[in-house]
Amino acid sequence: MPLRPARVGRVGVIRAPVAKTAVVAAAVTPGRGAPVAKTAVVAAAVTPGRRRRI
Amino acid sequence: MTDISLDELGPVDYLVVEFPAGASNFTGEMAAELRALVDSGTIRVIDILILTKDADGTVEAAELSDFGELGELEAIEAELAELLAAEDVDQLAAAMEPGSTAGVLIWENLWAAPFASAARRSGGQLIANGRIPIQAIIASIEADEALATVGD
Repeated sequence: MPLRPARVGRVGVIRAPVAKTAVVAAAVTPGRGAPVAKTAVVAAAVTPGRRRRI
Repeated sequence: MTDISLDELGPVDYLVVEFPAGASNFTGEMAAELRALVDSGTIRVIDILILTKDADGTVEAAELSDFGELGELEAIEAELAELLAAEDVDQLAAAMEPGSTAGVLIWENLWAAPFASAARRSGGQLIANGRIPIQAIIASIEADEALATVGD
């Protein structure tokens, strides 16, 4: 299944090889290595009204 | 896309969602959620490509229209702008594992366009943006909690 001709010969917009990010699902999905508590931790981090301690 | 002025263009993002070999479970849920984001005016889908990387690392790219019946994606496919060039394929596939399939999505954040325009009219200019990984948030909070425990 070739790409459409309009895509060939054009200058690309992705300037460099894309690096693989950490797999988020592994960190927030319940499982042996990723307890449900992690999800609660993230939720707490973004709770409105939480203030940083500097 | 050409009839949209640059001042009205929202930030354009991309993502690559990998489906490891044997792990895909397409129920139509992703398509429905994407369609909902478009229908609500939150985003405009600019381009979609489907990539496959063979066990030997060979990458092939396919158009969304190559997949026949598109269901929820039919209307989205009709409006694609085909921003990606053939030379983008290898760059995007660099993150893929051999034997996997990936969907590449390019979209405009329509929700951000009015704010970005207002910022520009106010004399502001974007000098940095990015995404904070969930893992970094977890690490930050856990370190914070650990520090609080030490202080007890």
